[in-house]
Amino acid sequence: MDMENTNLFEFAEFDELESEHIAAPRYSYWKSVWRTFFKNKFTVAVAVLLLCIIAFAMIQPMLSGYSPIKTPNINNSHLKFLKPSAEHIFGTDHVGNEVFDAVWAGARNSIIVSFICTAINMLIGIPIGALWGFSKKMDRWMIEVYNVISNVPFLLLAMILSYVLGAGMRSLIITMTCTEWIFVAYFIRTQVMIIRDREYNLASKCLGTSTWTMIVKNILPYLISVIMTYVSREVPSLISYEVFLSYMGLGLGTTNASLGQSIAMYTSYMNGYPHLFWIPVSVLAIISISLYIVGQKLADAADPRTHM
Amino acid sequence: MSENRNVVLSAKDVEVKFRVRDNYLTAIRGISLDLYEGETFAIVGESGSGKSVFTKTFTGMLESNGMISNGSVMFHGKDLTKLKTDKDWEGIRGAKISTIFQDPMTSLNPIRTIGSQITEVIEKHQGVSKAEAKKQAIEIMERVGIKNAADRFDEFPFQYSGGMRQRIVIAIALSCHPEILICDEPTTALDVTIQAQILQLIRDLQKELGFTTLYITHDLGVVANVADRVGVMYGGQIIEYGNVEEIFFEPCHPYTWALLSSLPQLGVKGQDLYYITGTPPSLYNKIKGDAFAPRNEHALKIDFVQEPPFFKVSDTHYAKTWLLDPRAPKLEKPEVIQNLHEKIKKMTDKGGAFHVE
Amino acid sequence: MNKSYIWKRLLRSLLSIMIIMLIVFTMIFTLVPRENIFFEDSTYRKLSSKSDDKTEYVYSTWEKLGYLDYVRINDYCQEIYGAGSPEMSTAVEPDSKDSQDFVELYTSKGYTVEKYLGNGRYYAYKDIPVIKRMGSWLAHLIVIDTPMSVKDEANPDLKRGISFGRTPSGGLAVIGSGTTYKYLLYTNSKFPWIHQNFIRMNFGVSYPTYQGLDVMRVLFQSQGDEAKRHVVYETGLEGESGINFGTLKYKPILDRMDTKKFPDHYADYEVYRNQPSMIGTSFRMGIIAMILAYSLGLPFGLLMARRKDKLADKLGMVYIIFIIAVPSLAYIYLFRYFGTMLFNLPSVFTTYGPSDARSWVLPVISLALPSIASLMLWTRRYVVDQMSADYVKFAKAKGLSQGEIFRTHIFKNAIIPIAQGIPASLAGCITGAIITESIYSVGGMGKMLPNAIKQYNNVMIIALAFMFSTVSVLSVLAGDIVLTKVDPRISLSEKAGRS
Repeated sequence: MDMENTNLFEFAEFDELESEHIAAPRYSYWKSVWRTFFKNKFTVAVAVLLLCIIAFAMIQPMLSGYSPIKTPNINNSHLKFLKPSAEHIFGTDHVGNEVFDAVWAGARNSIIVSFICTAINMLIGIPIGALWGFSKKMDRWMIEVYNVISNVPFLLLAMILSYVLGAGMRSLIITMTCTEWIFVAYFIRTQVMIIRDREYNLASKCLGTSTWTMIVKNILPYLISVIMTYVSREVPSLISYEVFLSYMGLGLGTTNASLGQSIAMYTSYMNGYPHLFWIPVSVLAIISISLYIVGQKLADAADPRTHM
Repeated sequence: MSENRNVVLSAKDVEVKFRVRDNYLTAIRGISLDLYEGETFAIVGESGSGKSVFTKTFTGMLESNGMISNGSVMFHGKDLTKLKTDKDWEGIRGAKISTIFQDPMTSLNPIRTIGSQITEVIEKHQGVSKAEAKKQAIEIMERVGIKNAADRFDEFPFQYSGGMRQRIVIAIALSCHPEILICDEPTTALDVTIQAQILQLIRDLQKELGFTTLYITHDLGVVANVADRVGVMYGGQIIEYGNVEEIFFEPCHPYTWALLSSLPQLGVKGQDLYYITGTPPSLYNKIKGDAFAPRNEHALKIDFVQEPPFFKVSDTHYAKTWLLDPRAPKLEKPEVIQNLHEKIKKMTDKGGAFHVE
Repeated sequence: MNKSYIWKRLLRSLLSIMIIMLIVFTMIFTLVPRENIFFEDSTYRKLSSKSDDKTEYVYSTWEKLGYLDYVRINDYCQEIYGAGSPEMSTAVEPDSKDSQDFVELYTSKGYTVEKYLGNGRYYAYKDIPVIKRMGSWLAHLIVIDTPMSVKDEANPDLKRGISFGRTPSGGLAVIGSGTTYKYLLYTNSKFPWIHQNFIRMNFGVSYPTYQGLDVMRVLFQSQGDEAKRHVVYETGLEGESGINFGTLKYKPILDRMDTKKFPDHYADYEVYRNQPSMIGTSFRMGIIAMILAYSLGLPFGLLMARRKDKLADKLGMVYIIFIIAVPSLAYIYLFRYFGTMLFNLPSVFTTYGPSDARSWVLPVISLALPSIASLMLWTRRYVVDQMSADYVKFAKAKGLSQGEIFRTHIFKNAIIPIAQGIPASLAGCITGAIITESIYSVGGMGKMLPNAIKQYNNVMIIALAFMFSTVSVLSVLAGDIVLTKVDPRISLSEKAGRS
């Protein structure tokens, strides 16, 4: 007892570096994002389902070669309006085409169009919105621009554009982006305004950081989660828009397959052959819901406050 | 100090853990503390030492990922650590034990009138009518120094200055005559002149109403000004406690020495200021020995091996350091904090308030 | 609230509306091919192509609709010689001197001069610039009725003046003589109880659908069958009619029935019909749906926030996701299917008509479904944001229970941005719901704009665009005013940064 204890009551060596050792667990933002996202089994399942559907939608139409104007069976009345069965998985429609082919070809176009439109809206809307929120001078007149653009009747614009540009994918994309970007910008502007006056931004400004650097490095990372939430709702909403436009007769045009086109077309057969309506609707619903869930969960995972 | 005062709250071996990203962090590693009626007790420590967390156990305000894993807090025969729901806390939180926080800007709801935020507490805890509550509210507003209280009753927080807002916060906290007032860094967000006023106000009200004040602060100046007794906290434990004179003039724990030495007012022109090297320990891991050992120039080998117990220095003064063990080498406190009495005397003004040079 | 600020905002709003109208005008008159307006016109189709009648019809319609200025050789000669004079028949021929003058005159003025294909006579036309077109639309937009308004050459002794009296149905009235409308101001038992006729908005006459009818009448006139009741006319005659006495208008030529019923020239009138107008129907439906949406959406959103991540929250999210992801076309059909199956409610509005409450149930709920989802989502988000605020911590330390904190603190703060959106929701009730109304065959505003666009009814498009954008722009201003009332911190006139 004595040898040990006397030794213990001597002064120990003082190691300055040892005291600087920080022992908190390491934190990497993106790693935490993925960890949080993959923790939820349900989300992962939905994400996998979504990827499968998208892959299928991209590939199947290339194999089936479907097009709404190709109607080889139009004169075979016994091949029309068939209910779903083993031979015709989704049944057949009013011109004898496979609903299966129609739905996947339509899904392909709808997905492509809404992804492209979302990308364009984001690419234009986010930088403009960020600048708009940041610069008080710009806010004064941009608000009026917003007032004007957001009040031009969208339907009118859609019809005009379908004249000037003709029907088809290009004109649909232009229709759905030409006014939509400003709503994205407005949304971003509001978010930016909330954090623009926070102290860390004032500090950056004092240090002489340029406006652009501040936007990109200080503000945008904060907005990642918010942007993802927006995107997760934007894509399904654009698909809905496309359905609506097709219902109004303004969508991709009768030569292109699209889910909106199919739904609008088959609405009139609701009473006699409900499968024609409900099948494309269900496929659309599954795609939209999956997109929304995955996007929302990704947005939640991107918020550092959830990295507990 | 009289020894026959009542103990109004008694905490024993309190341990608090937090769940963070699948790990557990032990924020409070066993604290025992008795609060006496009518005294002012100050808990001092660095940021992250656990001061606020400890007092949150008195009001059940721990965050959702926190839990009291051990210990008890006895108050009027009830163990506060066992209370779970809002209903359990009714009549205690806000009524017998009140808290005021650091930032008066955000403590008040910006879109409700000042008056309504006072009366809702009075109505809730005392069950009186609206008119009676308003009367009491105006009274206490005047007590804390708001002029024209009756007119200003219906104004909004943004129409008050920072100092006035903190006065309102104090008014709210005291409106139901609590037994214990917890002040969590109440003056840190205010400028120096207002600081002095607020501290004076709390002191006056305490004399008048007779409650116990528990200050949480990192500012030794505030401690010197208001405290009767002081507890020094480090790494989730109280490592030394005693009367305020004992702590300032006869500190025993190397950490207390280091804290006192760090007072910038003790700096000599032309020489480096003293600072404590290193950072506080990570509380994720179990700590072996004395938590302060890695940063302690005067550490003994045993400090890395076994946790020191409390050694008695006087009836009121205890310190948790192996240096007080009879087997340990005798050590004088550092040069810089000797004659602290003289140095502080030189720096206080006639009113006895300790001020920054 | 700063008065001058409100005026400035109103002025800017007016400017925005004008710019929107300019854009709409440009889109319609420049970008839409003007031949398209005849697609739905049966008269046009009946006229054989390449006939002079057709050319005449086309150009005079275009003139009526404001596309261009159209002059015929006949008009030109009429100016010089007078109608019906003997020189006319030779003057109008293409080889006459007058015709040459005509050509020279109008070519120099920038007109395009052409010949009719049949008889070879000349006519000239010139496009009216968009600005001028919009200018003249604006000039005629507001019409003030005065005792000098009626210009009837056949009635030169028409007394002009204003007097006070009563309508035949008993309401108090300011009666005009020489005004277009007999009762400039009158009261009756129908909302809004006091009606006026002395300032009216004139949007023009609808074409090609609802041809000849004033736009305001098309939108605001009640629909359906005439609601006849026993009436006593001013002349003492009794009868069964749906006449709305307040709408008595000057009629230059009276027939026998008119003189029997009316003591003066004010014999033109509108009738009460038993169904509400298009605007009335849509507005009613919209308001009820809106009330439903707010009374369900807000409490549910609050509940979801309080029980965050628990069952109530998850269920709520399922509903929200469903509504967001599935196109409204689909879920409205689905909802209607269940509604008709389970509750035996009518599947279209017209089965029992607007007077039967059962007709309204399904459409109103269908209309409310997306709003409920949106309100739930946003309420939840705002409440969750407030839950981590410092004042909530302090309120808890004060001893308030969770319920009290939510009700008296959090909800009040969270509701601020939602309150700002209420005027816009109200405004949305006017525009009607395209899909819901079409699925349930409701005679409302929803189909007016899409149909007007499809039928190239330019007058109607402009009128609707004006109404919708005015309501929308003003609702933004109204929303900001609501904001200042609800949040005492916000003062609109001081926009420079926060303290």
